[in-house]
Amino acid sequence: MTMNLCVLEDIRKTYILGDVRVDVLRGVSLTIESGEFTAIMGPSGSGKTTLMNILGCLDVPTQGRYILAGKDVTHMSDDELSRMRSEYIGFIFQSFHLLPYATALENVLLPTLYLDRRMDGRKRRAMELLALVGLEDRAGFKPSQLSGGQQQRVAIARALMNGPRLILADEPTGALDSATAKDIMTLLSDLNAQGTTVVVVTHDPEVAGYARRIVRVRDGIVVEDAQTASKTTERQAHGVVLA
Amino acid sequence: MVLFWLRCADAWRAVLAYRLRAVFCSLSVALGVGAISIIVAATEGAYKQAYDMVDRFGPDAMLIFGESEEARATGRREKNITLEDVEALRQAFPTAYLVVPMSSRWDMIVAYRNRKHQTRLTGTTADYSRSWSWPVTEGRDLTEQDVKGLRNVALIGRTIVQELFPDEDPIGKSIFVRNVAVQVVGVLEERGSTGPGHNLDDRIVMPITTAMKKILNEKDRVQAVRMRFVDATRMEHFEAEVRAFLRKRHGLQERQPDDFRIVSPKEIIKFLVALTGSLVVFIGITGLLSLVVAGFVLANLFLLSVNERTPEIGIRRSVGARRRDILAQFLLEAVTLTAIGGILGFGIGVLGGPFLKHVADFPMHFSWKAFAVGMMMATLVGVIFGMQPARKAAAVHPIDAVRKGS
Repeated sequence: MTMNLCVLEDIRKTYILGDVRVDVLRGVSLTIESGEFTAIMGPSGSGKTTLMNILGCLDVPTQGRYILAGKDVTHMSDDELSRMRSEYIGFIFQSFHLLPYATALENVLLPTLYLDRRMDGRKRRAMELLALVGLEDRAGFKPSQLSGGQQQRVAIARALMNGPRLILADEPTGALDSATAKDIMTLLSDLNAQGTTVVVVTHDPEVAGYARRIVRVRDGIVVEDAQTASKTTERQAHGVVLA
Repeated sequence: MVLFWLRCADAWRAVLAYRLRAVFCSLSVALGVGAISIIVAATEGAYKQAYDMVDRFGPDAMLIFGESEEARATGRREKNITLEDVEALRQAFPTAYLVVPMSSRWDMIVAYRNRKHQTRLTGTTADYSRSWSWPVTEGRDLTEQDVKGLRNVALIGRTIVQELFPDEDPIGKSIFVRNVAVQVVGVLEERGSTGPGHNLDDRIVMPITTAMKKILNEKDRVQAVRMRFVDATRMEHFEAEVRAFLRKRHGLQERQPDDFRIVSPKEIIKFLVALTGSLVVFIGITGLLSLVVAGFVLANLFLLSVNERTPEIGIRRSVGARRRDILAQFLLEAVTLTAIGGILGFGIGVLGGPFLKHVADFPMHFSWKAFAVGMMMATLVGVIFGMQPARKAAAVHPIDAVRKGS
């Protein structure tokens, strides 16, 4: 069963900087279904980051309507938006954004501190997620003791902690070397294959290549929206060759 | 509840992570709280000492000295109260269950065999031990027969026992007081001192008749009279009556000052509290000032910390923290630091208190009350001065905080 996870209707976002009016988004309509793996691409200044912020309930549109998981978030209060982030969204950032003074395990547990519902066995779940990203033996390490790729894996485990419906990744491989980048994207593909909806914001075609749908944004509007052959299948083909 | 402890653990990690901030915040609060707990301890100590003294003095007692305020101030010796006055008081005040005259000299040499000791001699009546609530622990008390018969008997304090009878039972032994042979009949309970040079146990007590006639060469003038009343709640009233009675007996005119001096429990408390008051005000102002300074130190360090930790705030907001969660986190960190400062400060107070006692001979009494006041002040500093930085942290917009590369 597919359902519309995110529905954006004619989203506009305008910033007023002094006397200058900047229209960052100029009428974006977009529907993302559950289970999709979507890449949002565009050059810098195209509005893709603003679009991601709105998708992630970090920002609200100036005009238009946004419905996330059947809930109209357009006019939600700051607290309600926080609750939506807590319940439905997991973020992955370019520079990982782990708490420097907390261990990998504590970082993964962070979202549970702000969860509005009971969660039993949170530590066990966090350990399972660390195992899922291949870091069960690094649970007690601080970010400074981990490589970039490992830090991003911890961030992915953290994003998954509250069981989100949507993973939003903003240039997730921007700070990684290409080999590590491949690992991270493979991990995201695997997560998607297991049913998590993934949206990646990037300007890197290599990264976008893992998605099955590419939405191109330019000057605040969607200029192209296309289904593609996922790299997942390609990768499997490569795998055979390399083996 | 689980969540609360998890958040405390979270705040605790942040507290530990920023060590320099932690050290400065808690130390500066510690100094203020240290001063304040010393004040509370000193105030309590003064009251405790005052009430201890009143207790020893007797809450139902008053002491009438036969010298005027003026004579006392100039160091002139006066003895304006006679044995007749004492007898008249006894007759006039049936509400006083004890009326005990006293005469004493502090430079009396007592000797036993080859041992000598200089001490205070107090001449009094049979009711001395009862009038001071001062039990005789060995031997017997003075009796009316001792007084009437001018017997050469004495009670001695603990210090005299130590000085003259280091390894002997003093009861029944004869000692010399000046040149008079006196038999020790009893030993007074150990009392301790009320301050330097005020060793209460360094004394010998004899029948007033014997002391006046045979040792002090005094005909009928006594040094002081001690009265104890049945109803301790009416002491002010009794004091006024005794004053009026003695003034009339001594034929004093309206304008003339008293030629005697009445010491009551109320006066003892007033004196001790006044003594403490000035120091309390001084340390109090210092303590409050240093707490305010500590507050500013905290506010500044936390503002710096909020700036430094903007990305962290963004992360927390992006994983679902509400503004008030961020506010609570920073307040929790601030209060944790000031609470540590409070505990440290109380420690400083407890360690520094004896030093102050050593310097100024100040009574200190550290109690849970002093601790509670200190902790309350510390927490208040944390909340008040942590509020502004915490508000600033809560106002950080998540999209500014998680900008790429930050």
